[in-house]
Amino acid sequence: MTKILAVDDSASMRQMVVFTLQSAGYEVVEASDGLLALDAAKSGHFDLVLTDVNMPNMDGIALVRELRQLEAYKYTPILMLTTETAGDRKMAGRSAGATGWVVKPFNPDKLLATIKKVIG
Amino acid sequence: MSLDISRSHTLPAALPGFQSIKRYWDNAMAISTAKLMPGEVYVTKQDEMIMTVLGSCVSACVRNPRTQVGGMNHFLLPQKGAHAVVPSIEGAAARYGNWAMEVLINEVLKFGGCKDDLEVKLFGGGKVLDSMTMDIGLRNIEFVFGFLEMEGIRVQAHDVGDRYPRKLLYFPNTGKVRVCKLQNTNQATVVRREAAYLQDIKNKPLEGEIDLF
Repeated sequence: MTKILAVDDSASMRQMVVFTLQSAGYEVVEASDGLLALDAAKSGHFDLVLTDVNMPNMDGIALVRELRQLEAYKYTPILMLTTETAGDRKMAGRSAGATGWVVKPFNPDKLLATIKKVIG
Repeated sequence: MSLDISRSHTLPAALPGFQSIKRYWDNAMAISTAKLMPGEVYVTKQDEMIMTVLGSCVSACVRNPRTQVGGMNHFLLPQKGAHAVVPSIEGAAARYGNWAMEVLINEVLKFGGCKDDLEVKLFGGGKVLDSMTMDIGLRNIEFVFGFLEMEGIRVQAHDVGDRYPRKLLYFPNTGKVRVCKLQNTNQATVVRREAAYLQDIKNKPLEGEIDLF
């Protein structure tokens, strides 16, 4: 089963994301910030990481940078799911190694189609 | 020396992302003022006032007293759709409400602090039409209290529900709020504006862009 790591500091946002992903048949593990996500990524294997940008402790862009240093996540699709629309933040995400940038509020069908596309 | 009045009325620069919000100089209060319409959010670190008029809509006023950065949103959840997620608040509405709250909270926190520092006040959600079969205001109130409870954020003050539209004046620098309950003569305009907004988001649901790099 395809396994996704969903990272967001907002509990209600995680609830919506998890519901959307599970209803499409994905196995989902949640993390509430970048540091916890990095721990989860190291102790398991994920086919895709879906992460918020603005989070305490370690933000989403730093998380992408850290994940790309790990052999196991060099080529894993990483999508940012964020309220951020600023061009400089998006460019920072791209430079860090993110696969794509999804702006909230998300359309569940389009989010799932994008995930399917990047997982390949 | 002559007093340069026009210079004293120069509005402070809006933060990035909020330049499109309508602002003006309020002569009576002698302060730069941002006027919020349904669906808008405004955050400032300047000495400004944010004003809005709420019917069944809800506004959250959020500030960090330590950084004195604060702002307000003005939201109305869209009507029922598919994907029930949160009990009683279906998916499309919850996603929209979450977005309205998250944008506001994130922008305030960009200038420092954490969620525990936030001072939150809630207003609006009136049952402004007797004939409404569904209490839209109550739905908005339930959503915002549920959201904040789930996020572990305490509500410091609120004035919600009842039958009246409210005119809300918020001063993010100090956290002070002035609420004026409007009488019947003003209700028609508020109801018409909210109905038009609901129709807008029904015709063109708010959703963010997707970019693959």
